[in-house]
Amino acid sequence: MASPLTLLLPVIPGTNPQTLGATLQQVQPQLDAALTSIGTVHYARIMFLDRATPNLQPGGNPGDSYVIAVITEYDGSFDAYIGDFVAQVGTIFDALLQFVVGGAAVIPVANNVAAFGAFIALNDASQHAPNNNPFYQAYPTTTVQQILAC
Amino acid sequence: MTAPALDYADIQGTILSGYRVDLARHFILSITDAKAAGNLIGALVDGTGGLPRITTAARWTVKPECFLNISFTATGLAALGLTQAQLGTFDPAFLRGATSPTTAGIVGDVGTSQPADWIGGLANGAQVHVILNLWVDDDPAVLETIAARLRAAFAGCMAELSAHDARALPDNRVHFGYRDSIAQPTVIGAPPRKHDIPDDQPPVATGEFLLGYPNASNGIYSVQPAELSTNSSYAAFRILEQDVAGFEAFLVEYAAKAGIDAEMLAAKVCGRWRNGNPLMLAPDAPGPVLPTAQLNDFTYVNTETPDQDDTLGLKCPIGSHIRRNNPRNGAVVGTDSTHHRIVRRAMPYGPPFDPVHPHPTPAARGLIGYFINASLFNQFEFLTGQWNLLSTFVKSAKAPCGSGTGNAVFNISGEDVFLGVNDPDSTSSNPSSFTLAACGASGSDNQVLTGFSRLITTRGGAYCFLPSIKGLRYLAQLPGAPES
Repeated sequence: MASPLTLLLPVIPGTNPQTLGATLQQVQPQLDAALTSIGTVHYARIMFLDRATPNLQPGGNPGDSYVIAVITEYDGSFDAYIGDFVAQVGTIFDALLQFVVGGAAVIPVANNVAAFGAFIALNDASQHAPNNNPFYQAYPTTTVQQILAC
Repeated sequence: MTAPALDYADIQGTILSGYRVDLARHFILSITDAKAAGNLIGALVDGTGGLPRITTAARWTVKPECFLNISFTATGLAALGLTQAQLGTFDPAFLRGATSPTTAGIVGDVGTSQPADWIGGLANGAQVHVILNLWVDDDPAVLETIAARLRAAFAGCMAELSAHDARALPDNRVHFGYRDSIAQPTVIGAPPRKHDIPDDQPPVATGEFLLGYPNASNGIYSVQPAELSTNSSYAAFRILEQDVAGFEAFLVEYAAKAGIDAEMLAAKVCGRWRNGNPLMLAPDAPGPVLPTAQLNDFTYVNTETPDQDDTLGLKCPIGSHIRRNNPRNGAVVGTDSTHHRIVRRAMPYGPPFDPVHPHPTPAARGLIGYFINASLFNQFEFLTGQWNLLSTFVKSAKAPCGSGTGNAVFNISGEDVFLGVNDPDSTSSNPSSFTLAACGASGSDNQVLTGFSRLITTRGGAYCFLPSIKGLRYLAQLPGAPES
């Protein structure tokens, strides 16, 4: 059974969204390769939201209300594999967390694995009511690797 | 990775070197007078007052009369006076402790292995503060003499909850009959081993075994205060009782079911024949014991030489004990085996098994000692809870052209035969299961053995911190926990 991660990270006020977008664009190939290597993530996407707009769609202007959303579905235990995630995508999170409220306290994540794990848990909407309910899965007993093997 | 220059005289010896001795005694202690306990720690560091000195990793020219190391639980550090803020910087698994229900669930200490049933005072984790380890070469009289000196020294400041003896079996065997102590990680910066058994794997970052150095993820594990950080380490102390009669019965029953020889099944569940030869180098019969230099010199995946490849686990099952605990270059989800190595410092305890009289008066026998790492969470617990208790960590992988059909994902099931919970009830959520792989799509021709029971029961444990010598001196001068 896969588990959801819905990481909602408020951006430090005054951050230029273009700078943020450029950083994300820069790390995307590395992120894709790392997720392939990790081998437990079904889907992953990073989105920008803007709390200042009625429909949360970002307007592209500098503001104080942006949120980075990291949304994935993954196999196994996130807690148990936090060390492996840090090994594979730690530097990517370091790059993103510099723009995130509270992120500086866990950078570099490789030196702060436990604190980084706690930070993820704190900001993962999927772990908190009312969003921690079971979710629909078309193939609830099949892992990424089993799918790849078929 | 460049090897750091380690100050061996600041590192407790058991972390980086096995002592190659035959006798050990592990004292489980509870601090009753923190200030006096601090004085004792100082005396042990300096070897004063007629006491042996804590053994370091520094090179010795004349073999010492004994080897001595000391570790502390989280409650032990608190009893000595470490503050809650300082303790908050330690490994969260260490802080949880071995008897916590969370820990027990992660590592499979459930049912007959549950901490509530542990022996020697270990069931009450809060009262276990110190584990003092004494090793001597082979003379029981020397062991008793030094143990008496230690007992006299700690009598006024620590209560002895229990003492546990270990005695090596001939030829480095364990009670299940296998030759042991073959595979250990090569730690970057560690002293060269006298009796090195080279392997085919990358050396492991110093920071995987010592705090204060870069680890395999390019991070650094550390704690506060700084005096306790660099050159310290963690360990899981474990008492693992082996059901030898049960194992021999398992071999006979399930070898017959599989249509193979019992010794072949013994090799399949372990990954090595009982003489130590690995299945990867001796797939069909144990043969004569291979030269030491070859015993650990193999990998599982070989795309350049398909006839030496075992991606599918046809020679050495993917679920075998040594392959689960160190997949080497086999593809696993997450990262790789280099991030989850541990140093094993365990010795047999209890009388040798007598197959002629398999059930005399109940005699406990098994393995006792430390499993050492810089992160209990990412090494011991990961290894125990993930690779030993699950079968979904293997990546999709096909064999190189011509060496078999199928996929590695389908060629492993259940838990480790030795370290698994192994519920024989087929209706349970995780019933015991072991796969003997064969070529075939989606594992269609595999043999899957089911219905067997747990073979190793945890009888005790503690999560320990092995301070540096500098760290021990720091602990020695602490005032003790404030009065509550």
